[in-house]
Amino acid sequence: MKKTITLLILLLISTLTLWAQEKTISGKITSTEDGLPIPGVSVTVKGTNKGTSTDGNGSYSIQAAPGAVLWIRSIGFQPKEITVGSGAVINVSLSPDSQNLNEIVVTALGIKRSEKSLGYSAQQVKGDDLTLTKQQNVLGTLAGKIAGVQVVGSSGASMGGTQKIKIRGANSLTGKDQPLMVVDGTPISNQNFSNSTSNGADYGNVGQDINPDDIESVSVLKGPAASALYGLRGQYGVIMITTKKGKKGPKELTVQLSSAFAIEKTGNFMPLQNIYGVGNAQTFLTLPNGQKYLDGNDESWGPKMDGTPVRMYYSFYKQDPRYGQLTPFVPQPDNIKNLYQTGYNLNNNISVAGGNENSALRFSYNNGYIGGVLPNTWLKRNNLAVNGSLDLTKKLSVGANINYANNSAQRPTEGYQGSGTGSVQWFQRNIDMNELRNYKYPDGTIKNWNVNPDKTLATITPDGNKPSDWNNPFFDLYENLNKDSRDRFFGDVNISYQVLPELKLSAFARSDRFTQNISHQEALGGRNLDGYWVGKYQNTENNYEFLGQFNKTWGELSLNGNFGANLLTQNYSYLRQETQGGLSSPAFYNIEGSVDRPLVTSYLRRKEVRSMYATASFGYKDTYFLEGTIRNDNSSALPKNNNSYWYPSVSGSFVFNELLKWEPLSYGKVRLGYAIAGSDLSPYQTGYYYEIGNTYKNDLVNINTQYVPDQLNNPAIKPSFAHSMEAGIDLRFLKNRVGLEFTYYNQENQNEIIPLTVPGATGYSSFIVNAGKIQNKGIEVTLTGKPVVSKFFSWDATLNFSRNRSMIKELYPDVNTYRLDYNTYSKVDIFLNAEVGKPFGNLVGQAYQRDAATGKILLDKNNLPMYEANHDFGTVLPKFTGGFVNNFHIGSFDLSAMIDFQSGGKFFSWTKMLAVKSGQAAETAALNDKGFNVRDAVANGGGVKVSGISSVTGQEVTAYVEARNYYRNLLGTQVYEEWLMDASYVKLREISLGYNLSQKTLKKLPFRSAKIALVARNPLMIWQKAPKGLDPSDLSAGSASISWIEKGQLPTVRSYGINLNLTF
Amino acid sequence: MKRIHTLTGLLAMGLFFSSCSKFNDDINTNPNKPTVASGTKLIANAEFYLQDMSSNAYGNLYPQYLSNTTFTEDARYSTVYFNYYTWYTGPMMNLETVINSGSLDIKEGPIVNQIAVAKILKAYFLWHVTDRWGNLPFSQALKGKDLVNPVYDKQQDIYTGIFKLLDEANASIVVAGGNIKNDFMYNGDMTSWKKFGNTIHMLAALRLSKVDPQLGKTEFNKALAAGVIDNNNLNFTYRNLSDAVNQNYWYNSFSILKRKWYAVSKTLVDRMKPFNDPRLAIYADKNLAGNYVGLDYGLNSSVVVDNYSLLGAAIRQQNSPVYLVTYAQALFAQAEAAKITWIPGGDATAQSNYDLAIEQSIRQWNNNDVSGLAAFKANPEIAYDATNGLAKIATQRWVHLFMNGYESWAEWRRTGLPVLNPPADLGKPIPRREAYPTLERSVNTANYNAAVAAFPYGGADDLNARVWWDKP
Repeated sequence: MKKTITLLILLLISTLTLWAQEKTISGKITSTEDGLPIPGVSVTVKGTNKGTSTDGNGSYSIQAAPGAVLWIRSIGFQPKEITVGSGAVINVSLSPDSQNLNEIVVTALGIKRSEKSLGYSAQQVKGDDLTLTKQQNVLGTLAGKIAGVQVVGSSGASMGGTQKIKIRGANSLTGKDQPLMVVDGTPISNQNFSNSTSNGADYGNVGQDINPDDIESVSVLKGPAASALYGLRGQYGVIMITTKKGKKGPKELTVQLSSAFAIEKTGNFMPLQNIYGVGNAQTFLTLPNGQKYLDGNDESWGPKMDGTPVRMYYSFYKQDPRYGQLTPFVPQPDNIKNLYQTGYNLNNNISVAGGNENSALRFSYNNGYIGGVLPNTWLKRNNLAVNGSLDLTKKLSVGANINYANNSAQRPTEGYQGSGTGSVQWFQRNIDMNELRNYKYPDGTIKNWNVNPDKTLATITPDGNKPSDWNNPFFDLYENLNKDSRDRFFGDVNISYQVLPELKLSAFARSDRFTQNISHQEALGGRNLDGYWVGKYQNTENNYEFLGQFNKTWGELSLNGNFGANLLTQNYSYLRQETQGGLSSPAFYNIEGSVDRPLVTSYLRRKEVRSMYATASFGYKDTYFLEGTIRNDNSSALPKNNNSYWYPSVSGSFVFNELLKWEPLSYGKVRLGYAIAGSDLSPYQTGYYYEIGNTYKNDLVNINTQYVPDQLNNPAIKPSFAHSMEAGIDLRFLKNRVGLEFTYYNQENQNEIIPLTVPGATGYSSFIVNAGKIQNKGIEVTLTGKPVVSKFFSWDATLNFSRNRSMIKELYPDVNTYRLDYNTYSKVDIFLNAEVGKPFGNLVGQAYQRDAATGKILLDKNNLPMYEANHDFGTVLPKFTGGFVNNFHIGSFDLSAMIDFQSGGKFFSWTKMLAVKSGQAAETAALNDKGFNVRDAVANGGGVKVSGISSVTGQEVTAYVEARNYYRNLLGTQVYEEWLMDASYVKLREISLGYNLSQKTLKKLPFRSAKIALVARNPLMIWQKAPKGLDPSDLSAGSASISWIEKGQLPTVRSYGINLNLTF
Repeated sequence: MKRIHTLTGLLAMGLFFSSCSKFNDDINTNPNKPTVASGTKLIANAEFYLQDMSSNAYGNLYPQYLSNTTFTEDARYSTVYFNYYTWYTGPMMNLETVINSGSLDIKEGPIVNQIAVAKILKAYFLWHVTDRWGNLPFSQALKGKDLVNPVYDKQQDIYTGIFKLLDEANASIVVAGGNIKNDFMYNGDMTSWKKFGNTIHMLAALRLSKVDPQLGKTEFNKALAAGVIDNNNLNFTYRNLSDAVNQNYWYNSFSILKRKWYAVSKTLVDRMKPFNDPRLAIYADKNLAGNYVGLDYGLNSSVVVDNYSLLGAAIRQQNSPVYLVTYAQALFAQAEAAKITWIPGGDATAQSNYDLAIEQSIRQWNNNDVSGLAAFKANPEIAYDATNGLAKIATQRWVHLFMNGYESWAEWRRTGLPVLNPPADLGKPIPRREAYPTLERSVNTANYNAAVAAFPYGGADDLNARVWWDKP
């Protein structure tokens, strides 16, 4: 009792004392960097629950007693504690928290948040890390830099070809789980106009229209917990790009100039044999006059290239000076390589940034040119960006971000029967590529190798001069042109009004619009009918957005609240026209030149989504954070009476290092999040309609036809939902010298809208249904370290690692398999499936038939391996992926190296299969264990050694079999097991050695800084499991959602260059 | 005051967005596709698929009409699994839609006639597919979302269904009522359709000669009595056009792709050349040396093309027609029916039909030119004789059905005539059915397994099991 009274008295006295001495303290908080006021800074009296925050002018006022400690905190600045003295004005300048730039993270809707307060993982990459080696496609630069983000790229020969991103595994049954791309808050299209079969030109994904030199940072919102605020569009994550801006403050102007030049070399060619030439038997063909000759066969199973004088294809052209002559039959070891030339890449960028007290502006222009490694291919690119903001009054400001991009290109045809890409697949080992280079004789006759001479005339006749499967590759490259160009604008204009110190209202009008032109011309004289097609594709997406941001601190409690609304309109249209039946006049590439009625398609797609959303993030003592978000979407693509859906998320974090007070731990946080995000469908899948068929028209009738589509739409469709949980811990030790971020996630994507493959006897190939449940579980680890920090030498390193496991849990009643993709060659199928109870994306095809007891291959009565259909080869997705980034600073030198890696995953190599089938691959002419060439007759000691269990006797046998029969007719045609490659690799993707001019030198020059760097992109595949000649890191060759097949893959392109950066 | 304004603004904005879960009707209406279909246009589209019954390498390899000069795997039965889905998702779904449509347009011809034509064509497609694959979905097929996993019906039941469809069509056609529109097979002529329907009814009935002669005979006579194709002008012929979209399949192969991949087989030439068959000049081109030389069927490697007779140039013009169901075929059927006493008249009737069939076949193929006919018929090997009646009928039918491979292959399976041998070194018999698409095992597993288990004469899902009417 006595104690209580004493306490009460003491309390009373202290309160009285405080009360008695309190006064109003006011002041202004500014930034040490630019002297500008900082709004929204939290000012609290330590040890009490009193607090306020600064207004738009950085001013505050608070009641505090002398001796009390003011705790001043703001995101991105180092906090300060100031003891109240006798004065009534306390102005404070905060220095930016440069030690840990990562602390500020751009989150959904472009809201900047302190990393502490996030209950989910949001990894961010600085722009400088993306422009190390000037890759053209910004998505490709993310490879290995963010845990949980897998990038599947394409060969540099495609010039800005497809770069695909998978975040946390495959979260869609269709594999079409590409993240949303957002630049400065404006969602931009990442459409891909390429074919999904890996055949044709790879135009790349249009997200590459952002100039990498304009990027300040990229943050990836990996799971629904982070992206729930994007509602219908957030299911597969968001890539948030923030561009560089001018700065408000004392008048200043910065001019940056950067130039890069690189040469591009092809590499990684498949080893081929150089002993046997064209033919399907080892005997020469002879002309009636007794001359030995070579025909237009595309196999290299022929006679030995022993110098025997033969009539080559060119000797059958009357136009050729060697007409009728014999030339030695010899190998051309480098014929594939000789198709390619040294490409180059030139990139220039200039930016001007500046500002004054109330305005900021940045302007940049980028010009890029690539001369391809394939002759007559090129890409031109121009990017222009202007952004600025202006404070009209102290409370009202306006701004704009405008980006313009323009590309034009002439690209190679990829895939099977592409521009020279077929040469590894089917070709003659005896053809000199340089001989084909002059593909046209002066009279216009095309010089073809894949044609047969008229035997009696010993001439290639004009009528017979039509290649059966393969054009002269140079004819393809110079006459069959793929042209494309794109003009694009994207950006926003915005206005914001600081209503109250705590409340800011903003409105944005955002737009992304482009026109894509694509055309293809097919010339007369090739294997195809001549023709022309041209398409104009236009896309406009507008977003009208309203956002209210509310920040308030009450003592130790802080609230960051946002509420907003968005109206999205999409309008996509195209007009595509194609000639039919040939061109009326050769090389008249125009729709008017169509011999028959041209094929014309016009298309229009419109969609609208109306949304409202709100978030609230509470912080307590800057230690405990809790956040909730909610979004409502109404989509016009959904059934009218059922088009409104809600997407909530909740997450929390707890920063425990200060509580723990353990010296070596400089930062510690645990986080937990749960969210629901969604995805709806493209329009017109809820109504029934018919298709327009071909027309039957002759002199008597003109019959138009209609047909029932193969896909059955569904008026009862619902959006799909992703439920995701993630938990993680972030630790930093020894003053941030060592860091660890660990995340575990478990995501279930449910009721996806898919075209379900159904038995054809239903009358349809697929039904649009809500189906399935796919689960992805995984971990992500990011380790950062600064092993050495000194003035002369420093080293920092980041290791990203992620592992994902997917599982198809449900599909559709009575249906256990969903076919994602398939390929058929020589009537043999391979399927990519999603099957219940299995990981996503398993390949099913023909495999060796094996003895149940021993697992050994079963051999038939001729001792040839036996095979069976429908073998499950397992998933194509990797087990784990990651990257290892190292930066060294040694004196004035910077050395950066980026390694990325992948373990597991599979792809089907059609190139390898056909290189073997066509008798070109080295192993088809190797020596067997008896020292004889496998192509020698079995009776003479040749043949391929085969061992296994005989299906006839049940006994183990070893035998020699005829090479062509084995490789061509069996392995190369039937046994797909042989052509499934493990996609594991470790690749040195980028390396850069830079030199910074010293301040001393700079004083004599008009630059503020200057850096020169030697760079190499793709210099080295450190290790790969797949055989040489295949590149598991370059599997994207078009818009297919899962890269599981490689056919006529363009060669690996290694690029070596020099970069110069100057700042004035 | 200012605050109030702001709040009002906010509220207004919120209302603007939230009140709008209603969209304009037109935004989700597909402007790229029609929502209504014309019955006859659906039928016309189904007709496009008719040529695929003949324009296919496999069909013409099995009965050994053609032989590969290169890439000989096809002739050696390397492909086992064939996809029947297209027949359902393509023509049959169109026809089913017409049959079940409540909104056919009378302006396109009498509705009963539109439906009758759809039924005849459906029966014809069904007949084609069941003869190739055997048991197939039928009673539960073409039901869309109502039946995701259709069961397989026995071929026997499918035949019953075919007869029923044709009976209904025959009964409902109003010849006097008027033609239907948008029909490029018979230009809407209902007499022709009626006769065509009865002809396939009769031919399908004959298919039952081994397995159920009783039923076969009944159906045969019913169809014959209802009126069958009785002149070459009524032949069910797919007329290709001189444009890229509607061109002949073989024209594309030989003239566009420049693929000299198909020669006529030695099997065929050996049964034509010794007898100066006037059709040989149409069926085959001369080789470089100026002779008709058939290529051995199913060799293991490529040959020098110039030494052999390629598929005849007349058959592979851009607008070369494809003969599907012909007068001669109907006559051969009647000849056989007489021989096996399904119809009266015995050998005399058999012979008269046989002779007329040969004449009409030559008229059909040789553009009504009958020169050489008499001499040809005079060959003792060709002239009808009662002892070898069935063999002669079957052999001449086989010659007549050139390039209508699947039909000819079915007749060979039924009769075993003419005698055909698989490639000697192959060790595989001539296929007796085509295997189901491999996808079916994954997407219709239970029904697929049940179908294979219910094969009438056992066997696996491969090329060697037999269909119901092909009773061993």
